[in-house]
Amino acid sequence: MNNLKITIGLEVHCQLSTRAKMFCRCGTDYIGKGPNSLTCPVCLGLPGSLPVLNQRVLDLALQLALALGCRILPKVVFHRKNYFYPDLPKGYQVSQYDYPIGVNGSIDYALQGQRKSVRIKRVHVEEDAGKLVHEGMALMPDQSGVDFNRSGIPLAEIVTEPDIRSPEEARECLMMFRSLVRYLEVSDGNMEEGSLRCDANISLSRNPGEMGVKVEVKNMNSFRSVYRALSFEVERQKVLLHEGKEISQETRHWDEIKHVTVSSRGKEEAEDYRYFPDPDLLPFSIDEASLMNIREKLPELPLERKERFMLEYELTESEAGVLVSSKMLADFFEECLKELNKPKTVCNWITTEVLRNLKNLGKNINQSEITPKAFTELLRMIEKKEISGTIAKSVLEEMFTSGMNAREVISKRGISFISSEKELENIVVDVIENNPQSVADYLGGKQKAFNFLVGQVMRQTRGQASPEMVKNVLYKQLSAGG
Amino acid sequence: MAHLSRLEFTEQELETFFRDLNNILVHFEKLDTLDLSNVSPTSHITWTSPPVNPDQPVEWGREEEVMRAAPKVEDRYFIVPKIVDKQEG
Ligand SMILES: [Zn+2]
Repeated sequence: MNNLKITIGLEVHCQLSTRAKMFCRCGTDYIGKGPNSLTCPVCLGLPGSLPVLNQRVLDLALQLALALGCRILPKVVFHRKNYFYPDLPKGYQVSQYDYPIGVNGSIDYALQGQRKSVRIKRVHVEEDAGKLVHEGMALMPDQSGVDFNRSGIPLAEIVTEPDIRSPEEARECLMMFRSLVRYLEVSDGNMEEGSLRCDANISLSRNPGEMGVKVEVKNMNSFRSVYRALSFEVERQKVLLHEGKEISQETRHWDEIKHVTVSSRGKEEAEDYRYFPDPDLLPFSIDEASLMNIREKLPELPLERKERFMLEYELTESEAGVLVSSKMLADFFEECLKELNKPKTVCNWITTEVLRNLKNLGKNINQSEITPKAFTELLRMIEKKEISGTIAKSVLEEMFTSGMNAREVISKRGISFISSEKELENIVVDVIENNPQSVADYLGGKQKAFNFLVGQVMRQTRGQASPEMVKNVLYKQLSAGG
Repeated sequence: MAHLSRLEFTEQELETFFRDLNNILVHFEKLDTLDLSNVSPTSHITWTSPPVNPDQPVEWGREEEVMRAAPKVEDRYFIVPKIVDKQEG
């Protein structure tokens, strides 16, 4: 009974990062906009309006398909997917059917240090539907409100083969999708805001040679809910199989509050969408030259970059993982190395202090005031022991909020930081003279007494000297027979 | 047909439409005489360079007219009968 084979496939939708919609010139920046303010005859489905493809949609879809190693089909063909629902003004969705943008690709990701690969069946593009609102306003219980701001926003759909073997793998694979679309800058990949959505199909089988009954799971709105929903399904189906019951082929929705999947009532009896080629959008050939151009401009992908960071900069997997989780952060890291070639130091500061400050400010590295030059200047000051690590942390914090560089922050605060051992000497000599007992204790072999003296010097300097430098000078003075 | 599309026309408009539709039907009858047995039902010409839009938003600016024409609008939402047998997503 324990040898159940789990088979999972994913269907991922991501909103392509275009400024205008897929077939009209309406803007896509709908967050915070009034209902139906980003609309026109095309995306409202008014009679007589004609769609015109946004060139960028094709470019982004090709980038995505190429990065997933897909074979690009030579022609672009749009189909109408017909169904009736109030959020779909035309009564059909412009999508792709038997002729997607790309086929037969793969995505690689790592789970606990092990590299895994999932085959991609297809990548295609389609338009988003509008949004239905069931509550609020002066709505009657039998009414809904429709907002078409999202109608016509371009989506890419990625369908994987059922190569995933556990809920953990599914979550990890989805995270790699997000990383990938962010690296390519084809989508912001934000699950909470709905620009990345994921459905899954899952089956359990006693016999490793065959697939079980496929159950579709929908409505998973975070990485955590993908993991939880699929784990729930594994358990549910295990129990059914154990009791010798049939698993029915159905669609189930994840209930985020009750933490269960619920069968969708009725319907889904193999819906017939009556796909046919859209007569308003004639097929056209992809231009070889522009395809080559896109292929050449593909950036280094997250997994490759992580492995390169581990090899080239001798970082651990988790360090490299944090850095490459965002392209901007990884770029920032490598820009810093051009200024200061200390990968370990730069990495430590980025993965702790820089990320902490960014989190507090709710910004990403490119939105922040900090530049690789300013940041590495601060690190260099620590290296040269001009300031202590503790001071540097608070200086960095102010650099983030004010946009000043390290030296400006230091002079503004009136920190006359002690930058040379020479300056420290007087204080050290003072401390030695005022604490003869401790000096005697130290010379008698008590290490504690040395730490006490360090503390005294630090207090005198009000923390403006680095402990290492204090220790150095103190040690020199004491061994000089002070 | 006017009833199906929920549009209202005057008698005169209806007459014009009737004539136009009739012409279209006659045209289709002519098309029917062609021998298309070797052509697949959904194939059509391929564009070499299709018309495309640049990725720059342009405001249409006439949403108010659509709002006025809609049967029911509340807080700028179009109001429709609720359909419960399909969940969001
Ligand atoms: Zn529009």
